[in-house]
Amino acid sequence: MIGRPEPPLDHHSLVTENLANTEESDAVVPMWKQRTRIFLHNKLAIASVMFLILLVLFCFVGPHIYHTNQTNQAAALNVTFNAPPSAQHWLGTDSSGFDELGRIMFGGEYSLSLGMLAGFITIVVGTIYGMVSGFLGGITDTLLMRLLDAFLSIPLLFLLITLIAVFQRSTVFLIVIIGVTGWFGNARIIRGDALLIKKLEYSQASTAMGGSKWHIIWRHVFPNSMSNIVTVATFSVADAILFLSTLGFLGLGIQAPQTDWGTMMQAGSIQQPNGYWWEIYPTALVFVLVIVAITYIGEAMRDAFEVRLLER
Amino acid sequence: MFNYILRRLGQSIIVLLIVMLITFTLPYFEVQGILAPAYAVLGTHANPHTVHVWGVQHGMFRPYWVRFWEYIDQVFLHFNLGHSYKQNLSVWGIISLYVPRTIWLALSSLILTVIIALPLGIYQASRRNSTVDYVATGTAFVLYGIPAFLLGILMLQFFSFSFLHLPASPPSGVAPWAMFTNPVGFILPVLTLTLLSIAFLSRFMRSAVLEVLVQDYVRTAKAKGCSNRRMLIRHAIRNALGPIVIILGLYFPGLLGGAVVIESVFNYSGLGIQIINAATTLDVPTVLGITLLVAILTLLGNLMADVILGLVNPRIRIQGTR
Repeated sequence: MIGRPEPPLDHHSLVTENLANTEESDAVVPMWKQRTRIFLHNKLAIASVMFLILLVLFCFVGPHIYHTNQTNQAAALNVTFNAPPSAQHWLGTDSSGFDELGRIMFGGEYSLSLGMLAGFITIVVGTIYGMVSGFLGGITDTLLMRLLDAFLSIPLLFLLITLIAVFQRSTVFLIVIIGVTGWFGNARIIRGDALLIKKLEYSQASTAMGGSKWHIIWRHVFPNSMSNIVTVATFSVADAILFLSTLGFLGLGIQAPQTDWGTMMQAGSIQQPNGYWWEIYPTALVFVLVIVAITYIGEAMRDAFEVRLLER
Repeated sequence: MFNYILRRLGQSIIVLLIVMLITFTLPYFEVQGILAPAYAVLGTHANPHTVHVWGVQHGMFRPYWVRFWEYIDQVFLHFNLGHSYKQNLSVWGIISLYVPRTIWLALSSLILTVIIALPLGIYQASRRNSTVDYVATGTAFVLYGIPAFLLGILMLQFFSFSFLHLPASPPSGVAPWAMFTNPVGFILPVLTLTLLSIAFLSRFMRSAVLEVLVQDYVRTAKAKGCSNRRMLIRHAIRNALGPIVIILGLYFPGLLGGAVVIESVFNYSGLGIQIINAATTLDVPTVLGITLLVAILTLLGNLMADVILGLVNPRIRIQGTR
């Protein structure tokens, strides 16, 4: 579907365990080392990380090696439209005459960087909202959660389309709206953490010693829900890339001359009945691999933060 | 039970009011502010004075809360979702033809999903780590990675352009129940939406049943000599239905969002295509009207899920918490 199902909530309870075991595990092997080891043990995750690194190099360094013109089709007037793959154009050209391989790099720059930035906004807003709501509790919590219900009752894609229609469209704005609409699920998860951590002894001790609410949120709740935040952030980036491409496919995404993978696939899908496979399937393959790789990294991180897997 | 439904209804109305506050406030942030409709009617180069007069005549400068109250009054009592100044039609007039089409698309794929995904999830849970389980899990993971529009493109490629040659898009301009009289054109969109939902739902059904299977009462039932089939039907499925109903309720917005993409891929004229067209032509009132309608549909879906949940799970209707 649009976006993935939220990760199961069962790792909330693990936060407590996690904290309870900190001292013992520290005595043997530092926790981060164990976590790194668990992460490195997951071959698929390593492969995913390698793939993403290669892909970032491909998108950002590739254009400097494989020179193509991606902005002005008139500049190279002897272009062939819809040309099949050849020695000159390794993956053929699209319906505007742009080299498809160079186009994948060019679109990837936008897909990846915009996805990252939007995912970052998502996690920042979601974390702050969830923590404030969960930690303050009471009437604030009720109000904030009702507001969240209202946001959640507008299907995300409709909300995005509405915001795009109302505000002027620009690349920066796309990042902002995908970031601003993507945090609802994150806020719920982080709120669960905050609710849990504020009841723990050290938070209470801090309160008893006169620590202010913001001090406790910053010094105790935030560091201790870091595991969830990092995991959720990974999935958020995948979701942001997905939404950006979906908007691109609907023709509401990045505007020409810029492009992203979703917009490219939309252009390719128009040529699909003609059988010009090179205009759509290479992009689609790269796209799906990116999403799958990010998802695997997220899963591996969740495992790495899973206390039950730590050595005691 | 009655109290429970009443309380849930009250909550839904509060949420709906917040949604309406959002859809009402958004036009204030348009580039031309609340006078955007004036420019739509009088032209972009209209004399500022004329625009101002138009605004006064149409009550655009009345206080925010007065206008919001009128908005609520119009939506609730007159079922008026707004007026599209660009097309000079009421929003309901524009979309009324397409609402049933989208609802049929979403509903038929939801029904198909429930028919297929629930037994699949139960089977996977009862035969864990079997070949079927692995294949279904693997397929579900692949489907997670594929965005809705790409799945649609692949379906088109396989079942329309390469093999089988099913029609690539359903007949347009026909009555919504054409889905039943002339189903061939509707196979691909409904099937694509169903596949997406199955990937999502069968996983949840699997884990819900698995969670029940490790409960004490299941062990007790086994110890008392309950057969596997009876245990699955009497204990596991009945207890796993609760979470599934919640998931179905939460899934409804995702389904409508998926419908937008599917409609766009298969050129299925429904609400999705309408909202995309309206957004492209910057017809804000239509976009807001459709969004509000979809939010109402979502809230109704959630409400229905909660009522059904109350019916299947007595603990919920008594305590009122989930």
